[in-house]
Amino acid sequence: MQRSTIRISSLLHAAVAIAVGAFAAPPAAAATQQELEAQLAALASEVSTLRSELARVSQEQQATNARAAVPVQVLGQTTDSATVAEAESGLDFFGYGQIDYSRPKDEPSDTTETVSRFVVGMTNEFDEKTRMVSELEVENTVSSADDPGEVEVEQLYIERTFDDRLFGKVGLFLIPSGLLNENHEPTRFYGVFRNRVETAIIPTTWREGGMLMQGTTEFGLRWDAGLTTGFDLSKWDPTSPEGKESPLGSIHQELALAKASDMSGIFALNYTGIPGVRLGASIFSGDAAQGQPGFDDNVVTLWEAHGTWTPGKFEFAALYANGHISNTSKVNLTFIGNPTLIPESFYGWYGQAAYDLFDWDGNSVRPFVRFERLNTASNYSDLSPGLTPENGPDQDIITGGFSFLFAQGVVLKADYQHFHGIGGSDLINFGMGYQF
Amino acid sequence: MPDFTRARSRVITLLSVVLLCACGGGSGGGTVGGPVPGPAMSTLAQLGEQIFNDASLSASGTMSCATCHDPDHALSSAANEPVPAGGAGLDVPGFRNAPSLRYVAKTPTFGFEDGAPLGGFDRDGRAVSLMEQARRPFLAAHEMANTAAADVSDKLSQATYATDFKAMFGNDVFDQPEIAFDRALTAIARYEAEDPDFAPFTSKYDYFLAGRTQLTAAERRGLALFNDPLKGNCAACHPSGRGSNGEPPLFTDFSYDNLGVPRNAAIPANDDPTYFDLGLCGPFRDDLATARELCGAFKVPSLRNIAVTAPYFHNGRFATLAQALAFYVRRDTNPEEWYSVDAGGAVHKFDDLPPQYIVNVNTTEVPYNRNVGDQPALTPAEIDDVVTFLQTLTDGFQL
Repeated sequence: MQRSTIRISSLLHAAVAIAVGAFAAPPAAAATQQELEAQLAALASEVSTLRSELARVSQEQQATNARAAVPVQVLGQTTDSATVAEAESGLDFFGYGQIDYSRPKDEPSDTTETVSRFVVGMTNEFDEKTRMVSELEVENTVSSADDPGEVEVEQLYIERTFDDRLFGKVGLFLIPSGLLNENHEPTRFYGVFRNRVETAIIPTTWREGGMLMQGTTEFGLRWDAGLTTGFDLSKWDPTSPEGKESPLGSIHQELALAKASDMSGIFALNYTGIPGVRLGASIFSGDAAQGQPGFDDNVVTLWEAHGTWTPGKFEFAALYANGHISNTSKVNLTFIGNPTLIPESFYGWYGQAAYDLFDWDGNSVRPFVRFERLNTASNYSDLSPGLTPENGPDQDIITGGFSFLFAQGVVLKADYQHFHGIGGSDLINFGMGYQF
Repeated sequence: MPDFTRARSRVITLLSVVLLCACGGGSGGGTVGGPVPGPAMSTLAQLGEQIFNDASLSASGTMSCATCHDPDHALSSAANEPVPAGGAGLDVPGFRNAPSLRYVAKTPTFGFEDGAPLGGFDRDGRAVSLMEQARRPFLAAHEMANTAAADVSDKLSQATYATDFKAMFGNDVFDQPEIAFDRALTAIARYEAEDPDFAPFTSKYDYFLAGRTQLTAAERRGLALFNDPLKGNCAACHPSGRGSNGEPPLFTDFSYDNLGVPRNAAIPANDDPTYFDLGLCGPFRDDLATARELCGAFKVPSLRNIAVTAPYFHNGRFATLAQALAFYVRRDTNPEEWYSVDAGGAVHKFDDLPPQYIVNVNTTEVPYNRNVGDQPALTPAEIDDVVTFLQTLTDGFQL
């Protein structure tokens, strides 16, 4: 963005200089009317050329802004991790991190504190149109056979700019689904923890391998279309509660020796043509059978719609997500006797409101409240009387708290979460995060 | 020298246990349709098979391991009687119903998990290994009735496979009877661990869980009742689902429970009103004799092949599955159907336990959590469905 600004400024200066040179400098010798007319014509032609160039640069800048603006709705910031590094050519780094403290109100012995994630990212701009983006994440501090941590390559892709409004990615990248998946840094969302809907239903941080085309339009519409790896239903463990916590989270592959005989498709739209408003939707679908014995035509489809609105100091956000897995009966019959069968459908939605209470020198205090409802097993396909599991309960979560943003990239958070429908104690959470 | 011999024998025994565990004698998973085809049984296991089937190793000359663990009856007793008789004249009555040895190698070693007993061989878990489990019948007066290891060793030395035995364990092996006996037990344990017939996983239910066949409507109803925590609740102790790595279910969690099974008058030992078989705390196991809360508890058996391994429970009290299931669901609603009633009409509930141990009986879980006058957890028609389902657990189903 900085480079584009310089280019526009240079062009304007050149235009002014030409104009001044043409009209203000005294002629070295008297010119004929014909010569003057010829000079005027040439000057007009140059002005026209400059106008065209100015318009092209202006469009390019708008397109860049549009790409950056799409992911930026949650806390009103204007860049994402990858575009921070875009300002400079060549090698660059970015990162974010999050430490969380969580205390169950009624079960204080279960209180925990952890480095939820420590992320370092690296980008390299090979030329003006080609760059590599990577992101390495450590969760829960220590990763070993005896520790709970994980080390993950969360993103690793090459991005190519084809023209002002068309881009392509190939590699391991985030799926453009929902509000958080592409914008999951702690300074981007309200609450110490990411909302449950975009964790249990949309398995944030959800990434797949493949290729993705992305385009923008003059009127503020961004589209994404891609062909990627998908889920692997043979990973489903009917003896584990994991599938009840997050159906898709339990069968995602994260491009770790991912089974790829069946590919999936993603299509997403996001409209930001109205200032302060973002509206979007996406659908992801693909066979999760992956050619494994006993699995056949198990198509996973996840669609969602979302919106944000920022009138003045208020911020509103809402999202609905719905998942479906086809042809589960045959597989579920082989899981009989176990506690966690594969649901046919699951869903969740939430509404969230926040307010910029104080804002001084770039520091900000923003209280928020959020209501979520989700069901990770809202329906099971019929097996036979007595064998079909009962549908899961609706789970309601009310979260209220605040974020204190300061130093243009650091956040302190506190919130209180009340759960209904799934049992468990209310939670008191504190967290800190940063992003650069 | 004798001390040295015993010490060496113990070392060999330990090494054999280690070898057994290392080679699959533990509780590893199974594959539907039997173990993955591989090389034939080891020479040691083949020798074990001969010993297992050798009736000349008993005092009567007519009883082998296979007598009470008949391959044609899922390796349980062919005789449909509560307890088999043995001894030199086959007239010494036993004390407990002979269990099936199918899947026996998958039993975990006895221990306590979260304070509760778990695993072990024999109905009271007193044998820590397949070898130790195999040792007892050779020497039990009511079974093969050998007087000592030397007695078994002498018989082994005259067996048709004695040459093979010496070729494997040394020409002088019979000079050391304890070692010879231990080697024979090692061979039996290997046989039980290696022979596919001990863990075939070829029941209709195995094929159903593998997605290769379907259950009938009655079988599905029975399965649902079996699993339903509010109806049969059988799966609470007899898990019916595949394990986390996909291995077929063994239909036991290897836990122990006290069901208050009625006294069986067909067992001669029960003629003595002071005799009680209390499972974990005796009389055959002595290390837990003071654990009063465990008195009356027996190991939860696998239900695989249950339809062909009658009679049922540790004392063989019930001859049919329908009777066993009816007892489960009507024990507390209609105790007069199961227990002795005195002249005054009073029911002596849990009559195979001394009064002080009646408190140990499981009366809290479904289907036992009922009282006289309540409806049983299963109707007669539902019992029929569960029996129908249990018949799908018999190995040898043909697709």
